Amino acid sequence: MDLLEPDILLQLLIGGLLAGMLYALLACGLNLVFGVMRVINLAHAELMLVGAFGAYVLFTVFGLHPLLSLLIIVPLLFIAGYYLQSVLIERVVGRPMLTSLLATYGVSIILINVGLLLFSADFKAIPALQGSFLIGELAISKPRATAGAISLLLTVGVYLFLERSRLGKAIRAVSEHAQVAAICGIDVRKIRMLTFGMAAAMAGAAGVMLSVIYSFWPGSGVDFIQKCFAIIIIGGMGNFLGAFYGGILLGVVEAFVGGFASTQWAEAVAYLLLVTVLLIRPTGLKGVARV
Amino acid sequence: MNRRYLLSSLLSVVLAFIVFPAATHAKDIVVGTSVALTGKYARTGQEQLQGFQMWVDEVNARGGLLGQQVKLVHYDDESKPETGAKLYEKLITDDKVDLLIGPYSSDVTMAASTVAEKHNMPMVSSGASASEIWERGYKNTFGLYTLAEIYMDQILELGKAKGLKKIALVYENTAFPRGVASGVKTKAKQLGMQIVFEEEYGKASTDFSSMIIKIKAKKADMVIGGSYLPDSTAFMRQAKENRLYAKIFAFAVGPGLPDFGQNLGLDAEGVMGNTQWEPTLKLPGAKEFGEKYKAKYGHEPGYHAGGGYGAGYVLEAAVKKAGATDRDKVRAALFALDTVNAFGRFKVDATGKQIGKPAYAVQWLGGERHVVLPAEAATAKVAYPFKDWGKR
Repeated sequence: MDLLEPDILLQLLIGGLLAGMLYALLACGLNLVFGVMRVINLAHAELMLVGAFGAYVLFTVFGLHPLLSLLIIVPLLFIAGYYLQSVLIERVVGRPMLTSLLATYGVSIILINVGLLLFSADFKAIPALQGSFLIGELAISKPRATAGAISLLLTVGVYLFLERSRLGKAIRAVSEHAQVAAICGIDVRKIRMLTFGMAAAMAGAAGVMLSVIYSFWPGSGVDFIQKCFAIIIIGGMGNFLGAFYGGILLGVVEAFVGGFASTQWAEAVAYLLLVTVLLIRPTGLKGVARV
Repeated sequence: MNRRYLLSSLLSVVLAFIVFPAATHAKDIVVGTSVALTGKYARTGQEQLQGFQMWVDEVNARGGLLGQQVKLVHYDDESKPETGAKLYEKLITDDKVDLLIGPYSSDVTMAASTVAEKHNMPMVSSGASASEIWERGYKNTFGLYTLAEIYMDQILELGKAKGLKKIALVYENTAFPRGVASGVKTKAKQLGMQIVFEEEYGKASTDFSSMIIKIKAKKADMVIGGSYLPDSTAFMRQAKENRLYAKIFAFAVGPGLPDFGQNLGLDAEGVMGNTQWEPTLKLPGAKEFGEKYKAKYGHEPGYHAGGGYGAGYVLEAAVKKAGATDRDKVRAALFALDTVNAFGRFKVDATGKQIGKPAYAVQWLGGERHVVLPAEAATAKVAYPFKDWGKR
């Protein structure tokens, strides 16, 4: 069958990798929060949409290019996340899982409805960055290539920050054992606020990237949060790198299943992959038995 | 009477007004509907509702229906068939409405019409066109729209006339898009054209790139989509990104709406689609409705708004003919009616299926939506072939 031509395989692979990088950026933020405070943030995808609508407003009102709006939206969402943690999430850390699920679900409902009030239920799209780069027979979508590259850059940046910097090490220490970290003189509360801020900023950046690829409306979060859950379970709950691998894996598998079976199957693939990984390696790709 | 007693009795009167808000005036005729105000069909559902509301305002300004004022009760079905079914149950049993208007989308109408049938209550269905709806032996669903199955006929005939043979067909996995697709398959067979690629996709699909890569490999001449607004927009955008080229691109619903051009910008140029109605059609009151709608809501009405407005006029004609809002009399009147209003002709067969209204094809030309087929209704000539992405 002509589908097996190298050109087509390469095209599918590139498409999958680019989509996977965006998934990874989003899922890494979710996993970071879970790792540090054992809170599953159900509003993570809505924070992403805050970024997307932010880019939309900046583009339509001020004509600001989505890539430039990153410079405004990322810091703003960091601040928003920081204070959301100090005002709300901080109160549910360490409580039973249901408490934090309800709290973040509440945040998600509020954000969706504020979005509906402000922007109505219409689908929005930003007509910037259209078209494609042509390399011989290959057509690589400009918005996707840009989004993929920036997502990768941000994810790797955050990873290096966690690995190398003093603050990053403190975050990992809190993730490993909050009490011991506190005894060593780390301000655990502050670290949690920083972490949530970072996760929100990553979600916001993912939202800006999303806004140049897809149409979106205030209810778009559901599809993404479900995929994110699958990704972090596939990758290993609480593990930053795990979420990265999980995201890339899902993107590539989706593209190939879409290519060889159908787009409908591609939508189910996250959950099939989830079941398979759980059967073979119940802790996820990079997970540890503790979770 | 002491002061305290006075205060509390006052309070209870006030409370009574809050708890029992202005009960419906006994003599009002209550019309019930649910439309999508959120979810995938929100944009189009909202237009339909606004069009219908304009009829309500107009009929009341003219002194009402049978001398009574018309009152509209409406809910949001969130683009979900299951919610729609619940809401029609509520409209009929709880709100006890006198007349029913259908929801938007064939999908939700399938569910809602079953409820209307159960209660034997006639429903004027504005936003549905899949013929499947009228193949279940129901006696209470009256369609306004041209059927989905003949949506693409004129465009396929155009393709045939230009010597095109290979068709790629993609469609959403719900009632209306499937109706469009089955119509395309039948017509293509008649014309001796070949479907070289066919694929269904889910209601939530946003990524069509894998599909597009496959269509590219099949070298189709025509790409036809049984789609709504968000998916047709996303598809064209990704078609450009992946450099998919065909002589004709045609989609259901999307290109018939102004948003298609707004979201795609120049990339909408040359894309064909369908419309149930345009303000430019030579119909009594169509132009006036277009102007009034624009003045009220700030944008040109799409055909969904026209359909909502037309549904009002059909209801009005039926009630006048019946001389009452009695279910059986209104049903008989709807079956017998043959009338033309601002939305077009209304005449149904014995199943309630619309057979009087023709189809129209549109195309985006110079940033505007023009009716191009049939020739007698056209506001511009068809541009053929679709311009290659590299030459734009």
